Amino acid sequence: MTATKSAGASPSSPSAPALTVADVLQSGPRPPAPGPLSTSLSFAWRALLKIKHVPEQLFDVTMFPIMFTLMFTYLFGGALAGSTNAYIQYLLPGILVQTIVMITMYTGLTINKDIEKGVFDRFRSLPIWRPSPLVGALFGDVVRYIIAITVSLVLGLIIGFRPQGGVLGVLAAAGLLLMFSFSISWIWTMFAMFLRTEQAVMGVSMFILFPLTFASNIFVDPVTMPGWLQAFVKVNPISHLVTATRGLMQGTTEIRDMAAVFGWSAFFVLVFGTVTMRLYNKKS
Amino acid sequence: MLRRSLRHTLRSPETMITTIALPIVILLMFVYVFGGAMNVDGAYIDYVVPGIILLCAGFGAGSTAVSVATDMSNGIIDRFRTLAISRASVLTGHVAGSVIRNLVMTGLVICVAVLLGFRPTTDPVRWLGAIAVLALFILAISWLSVALGLVAGTPEAANGFTFVIMFLPYVSSAFVPPESMPNALHWFAENQPVTPIIETVRGLLMGTAIGNSAVLAVAWCVGISVLGYLWARALFRKKTAR
Repeated sequence: MTATKSAGASPSSPSAPALTVADVLQSGPRPPAPGPLSTSLSFAWRALLKIKHVPEQLFDVTMFPIMFTLMFTYLFGGALAGSTNAYIQYLLPGILVQTIVMITMYTGLTINKDIEKGVFDRFRSLPIWRPSPLVGALFGDVVRYIIAITVSLVLGLIIGFRPQGGVLGVLAAAGLLLMFSFSISWIWTMFAMFLRTEQAVMGVSMFILFPLTFASNIFVDPVTMPGWLQAFVKVNPISHLVTATRGLMQGTTEIRDMAAVFGWSAFFVLVFGTVTMRLYNKKS
Repeated sequence: MLRRSLRHTLRSPETMITTIALPIVILLMFVYVFGGAMNVDGAYIDYVVPGIILLCAGFGAGSTAVSVATDMSNGIIDRFRTLAISRASVLTGHVAGSVIRNLVMTGLVICVAVLLGFRPTTDPVRWLGAIAVLALFILAISWLSVALGLVAGTPEAANGFTFVIMFLPYVSSAFVPPESMPNALHWFAENQPVTPIIETVRGLLMGTAIGNSAVLAVAWCVGISVLGYLWARALFRKKTAR
C-alpha cells in the first residue's frame, strides 16, 4: 500500500501553525438544530430498519388479511350473502379496516420494548423535539399499514372484488384508513408508557380491539344483530370507519360518515396524544 | 400418572380458563354477530353448538400436546424410567387426563350454550349417545395430540402442530352447511372426519335424522385413535430407547 501525501504543508512542518483541538472544533458555523419533521422522519427510518432486520414482523401484516379474507369469503360467504362473489364486495373494505386497526397495537409494543431496554432515556437526552421518538414510530408504522392495504387489495382483486368508486375512491379510502390508524395508535402508545411489559400492552390492546372489530359492521349488516348489539355497533368508531371506507370504495360515500371518522380521529389525537405526552414528559 | 396429569391442570388454571374462554367467545361471536345473517334451518344457536363443542375439544387437545412436549423436553421422563412403573402409563396418563379435562370443559360450554338459548330436543338415551361419541372423539384427538407432542419436541412447536386439529372444524359443517361453500371446499367439508362427528352429535341432540353419519363418525374416531396410539407408542419407544 502506498500513502499519498496531501498537497500543502503538513501540520508537523515548521511553516504551518500548530492546530489546537479548539481550532478544529470551532472551524465552521454551528449546524442548525434539526427541526421536528426531520427528527421524526429519522425515527421513522429507525422503525423501518427494525422491519429490515426482523422481517418476521411483517408476518401478521401479510398473513392476517389473507387468512381472514379467504376464510370468511369461502367458508362463510355463501351462508352469509348467498354467494362468495356478493360477499367479497361487502367484506373486503371491512377486512382492510380490521387488518390495519389490529396491527396498530404493534406501535405500543415496539415503544414499550424501547422503554424497557432503556433506549428511550437516551433519546430524551438528545437535543431534539421531544415527541419525535413517538411521532417517528407512528410514521414508520404507516409503511406497515400501506403494505397490509396493498396485500388485502391485491388479494381482493384476484378473488373478485370490484370497487365501483374506482382508483380515486380506493386511494381516498386508503388515506382515510391511514389517518384513522395514526390517530388510534396514540391509545396504544399511551398504554406503552405506563404498562410494565410487552405482554401487558398486547393483552390490553387485544381486550379493547377484539370487541371493537367483531362487534361492528365489518362482517355482516348490523340489521341482522340483536337490538342491544346494534346499539353498540352504531356508536362504535370502527363501524363509522368501515361505513366511510366502504362508501369511498363503492362510490356511495356520505359526508356524515366521513365527518364521524374525522371527529373520532381528532378526538383520539387530542385526548390520547395529550395524555401520552404528559406521561412521556413525566418519565424524564 | 392420571393423578399427576389432573394435578397439573389444577395448578395451571390459566390454561383451563383460556381453553374454555376461547370456544365461549367464538360461540358468542357466531350466535350474536353472525347468527342472524346465517342461512340455516331453525335457530342458528341449535345448529352451531355441536360444532363449538368439537372446537372446544380441539383447543383442549392443544394443551395435551404441549404438556407431552414439556415432559419430553424437561427430563422428567428419565426420572420416570427409573421407577417401577409401566412405560405406557406415562402416555396413557396424559390421554386419560385429557379425556376427563375435555369432557368437563365440554360440559361447561354446553351449560353456557343453554344459558344463551340452546335447546336440545332429545331423550336421555340420545344424550348418552352424544356423550359417547364426544368421548370417543376426545380420545381420538388426545392420542393424536400425544403423538404430535412427541414429534414436536418443544412446547412451542407442539402448539403449532395442533393448529391443524383446531382448524378442521372451520372447514366442516360446524358453522355453515357445506352446500353453501364453493365446490372444492364443499367436497372437503363433506369428506373430512369432523363433519360426520358433528352431524352425529347434532342429530342426537336435536332429534334429527343421522343417516350413515354415526357409522362414519365411529369409524373415523376408532381409526384416528388406533393411528394416534401406534404412532405415539413408536415415537415414545424411539425417544426413550437408550
